Amino acid sequence: MIAAALTLLLALPPLVWVAAMFDRIGTGRGAVLIGPLQNGAALLLRPNTATEAPDRLNRLLAPGWYLALALVGLSVVPLAPGVVASDISTGLVLWGACEALTVVVVFLHGWSPNAPLPLIGAYRYVAIGLPAMLLSMFVLIGAALPAQSLSVVEVVEAQREIWNVIRQPLGLPLFMALGLAITLRGPFDYADGAELAGGTSAEESGPALALWHFARAAMLVAFSAMAATAFLGGHLGPVLPGPVWLLLKTLVLMALSVAAGRFFARMPPARMLTFLWVVLLPLSFASLALVGVEVLP
Amino acid sequence: MTDALFLALSTLAIWSGWRVFRVDSMVRASFQLMVSFIAVGLIAVLLAAPYIGIATIFMMAVEMMVMALFMVMFMMNPAGLNPMVMVHQHRFSIAAGVVAFSGLSAAVLLSDLPVQRVPEGADVVRDLGHELLGPSMLIFETAGVTLLATMIGAVVLSAHSGRYGASDAGSLPPGLTPGGEPAGRKPDESAGHHHHHGGH
Amino acid sequence: MTLVTVLIVAAALIGIGLYGALSQQSFVMLMMGLELMLNGAILAVIGFWSFSLGGAPEGQLLAIIVMAVMAVEMAVGFALVVAVYRKRQADMTESLTSMRH
Repeated sequence: MIAAALTLLLALPPLVWVAAMFDRIGTGRGAVLIGPLQNGAALLLRPNTATEAPDRLNRLLAPGWYLALALVGLSVVPLAPGVVASDISTGLVLWGACEALTVVVVFLHGWSPNAPLPLIGAYRYVAIGLPAMLLSMFVLIGAALPAQSLSVVEVVEAQREIWNVIRQPLGLPLFMALGLAITLRGPFDYADGAELAGGTSAEESGPALALWHFARAAMLVAFSAMAATAFLGGHLGPVLPGPVWLLLKTLVLMALSVAAGRFFARMPPARMLTFLWVVLLPLSFASLALVGVEVLP
Repeated sequence: MTDALFLALSTLAIWSGWRVFRVDSMVRASFQLMVSFIAVGLIAVLLAAPYIGIATIFMMAVEMMVMALFMVMFMMNPAGLNPMVMVHQHRFSIAAGVVAFSGLSAAVLLSDLPVQRVPEGADVVRDLGHELLGPSMLIFETAGVTLLATMIGAVVLSAHSGRYGASDAGSLPPGLTPGGEPAGRKPDESAGHHHHHGGH
Repeated sequence: MTLVTVLIVAAALIGIGLYGALSQQSFVMLMMGLELMLNGAILAVIGFWSFSLGGAPEGQLLAIIVMAVMAVEMAVGFALVVAVYRKRQADMTESLTSMRH
């Protein structure tokens, strides 16, 4: 248990670096390999900006909470048979709580500077983030059904015969929508969009912004690991040891998320809201119903 | 260890519950309430109810987020820049709260409570699932139907278009003084073009 | 951590919630008072379940029902706030001096 937690803590910074590299490939924003490190170092040297009458405590803590939620979410992912940082019987619910609190933290990040652009970003992100989170819960219940358990370890064990991505083809794409939402990227980047001059981070600079970007990349790692575990069989796989399989699947899903974020355009918030409630949410119901029919004895 | 955690969490739950009615900004208030709920959820985890505890955290994070959303939408002072005291019958409320607390505490302290702990290693989450979709299915499904009725009722209540025309037709803001001139938006603006359909 | 201490914490939450529900002028703050009372109720239910029911699942069922009640309270409450706001352009309890349209 402690070994698993230490492994995760050691593996996270390199994976965050890889996530930042994925984000740079093909964008022409400087060197792919050392660019993230240069940018981070530059940010650390810059001063934090001040705004008028901010909520100091929450402004200070929001990036840290974001990172903490990524770590808690990552902790339910089993690295190998019997090796998991937090081995609780309701791991999927804990992951769901992390998703819900992520929406809260992004809102706090935008609300606390007490400035217009961050508040607009936070406000519209909440409207989009809540339904996105809702549909992910139905998808995750679908992943839990064949395992007959809410424990992530059991969910992996139930995929020994066949991966969930084949049994429930709708599950992974719908879950990816959530991943784009909680990592503030691409079509779901209503919080930190460029048209709001950075949205919730518009007033941020210096170490606080560096930590926010780090946490965002860490959340991408946590989400990809969770998606790999719930739909791609996690650490299961032939020949190679379990953790290597988990790492490979996580990297593939990270690349897929970054690509999806680049490929899909962002809709106006009102249209996205309709799309989420009218198309994606019913799709997740349908996916859950199909899984239910399938696991009937 | 458990006792220390319980002490810390219950202090946090009560303190942040109290702060809900003391902070300036209503967004802060709703997140203080969320902290109180999270503390209670963690106490429930300590009390060997992992599903209920974490589900409480999950649900309340969403609920309080919606609450904060409504705060920003309706409040005159969403960011909390100005001090704010909006209370009525304050002394009576304090007395009622104190009486409720002391009455309930007295009842707890004076009654003989049965003791029969959850057995070690019981699979409480599985038990709950079997109960929900087994003997208590009628209760569970009734809750589901109630929620559906709530959704329909909420949409009907909050819809802009009603059976008798637009729901904000002729709406008047309250006066700045009791019985005084309406403050804020005037009815002409608020009713918009719907106003003219009445044929007056 | 005994049943008595858990129930006293629950009683404190219910007391504070009652104070809030009775004293606040804003509808949304009033609802926060109600939520805090239900928070205490959940804690009391789980405390009783954990210490005195010997693991019978009905106690957890009651906690889930309390959560459903909370959801209903929130949804209907917010719908009413929206309706009142449309009509009176305020969300204060004092703005509702009559129930007439």
